[in-house]
Amino acid sequence: MTDIFVAPKHIAFPDDPKHMGIFSSFSQNPEGVSFQTQKPHETIILFLRSHFVTNLSWIIIGLMLISFPIIILMFIPKLGIDFLSSPSASRFTTVYALFYYLIVFSYIFISFLHWFYNVFIVSSERVVDIDYSDIVVHNLAITNLSHIEDVNYTQSGFIPTLFNYGDLFVQTAGNEKNFEALSVPRPREATHIIGDLIEKK
Amino acid sequence: MDFNFISFLHPAFWIKAITLIAIGFYIIFTFVVFTQVKVMAQILSLPHAGTVLKTISIIHIILAISLFVMAIVIL
Repeated sequence: MTDIFVAPKHIAFPDDPKHMGIFSSFSQNPEGVSFQTQKPHETIILFLRSHFVTNLSWIIIGLMLISFPIIILMFIPKLGIDFLSSPSASRFTTVYALFYYLIVFSYIFISFLHWFYNVFIVSSERVVDIDYSDIVVHNLAITNLSHIEDVNYTQSGFIPTLFNYGDLFVQTAGNEKNFEALSVPRPREATHIIGDLIEKK
Repeated sequence: MDFNFISFLHPAFWIKAITLIAIGFYIIFTFVVFTQVKVMAQILSLPHAGTVLKTISIIHIILAISLFVMAIVIL
């Protein structure tokens, strides 16, 4: 009789650094990545950020905001409104349209930065959680691997299961802050990598 | 007799003033974005990312200043 419980695949720790793509969300031994307080002998084992699919909401909103004035300009002649005919009105419209597109650009750029700089790093010694929650707020939390008590993940819902992403939770000892990496790809693999590192410590 | 002060009462003047103030605040905001990108690039170094994002932030500032100048000239 075959065993219904399949042991998780052995997680390899490749020693050779791997090139990391600019939009990569899951990278083992990434090449060229470093953080501010990194020690000279400290190496980055795992680099995580939210799955790219989580960006779809702001990408769709951004596209809608870009197309919104174009749609309005297409419908205005059909409604018989002729407010753009006077020179002063067209000048104001030009300035406001450009200002509007700059604000839309800001929205897209900040949303991208929010995804890009929300990073969870597991090094050979520590776990580093970099949060970029707002344009004027960023938070950096660090804990030693020896302080970690438990690592677990949750993966629920249709889209997270389809794209294989979930939330990773790292519980630390005492009063230290618990860490979480939300919507990261391959959470099971990431949990095993951190678990193996804790065992080695 | 000079009646130029009457232009202050014209709604177009106030619309122009409010527009320029709004774009002025936006320019300040673009500098905040640039500063934040610079700080994040110091905290986390990723291949090519810091340079690309800083360049985009600088272009953003230039576009905002250009819009401010454009608004002064054409409004």
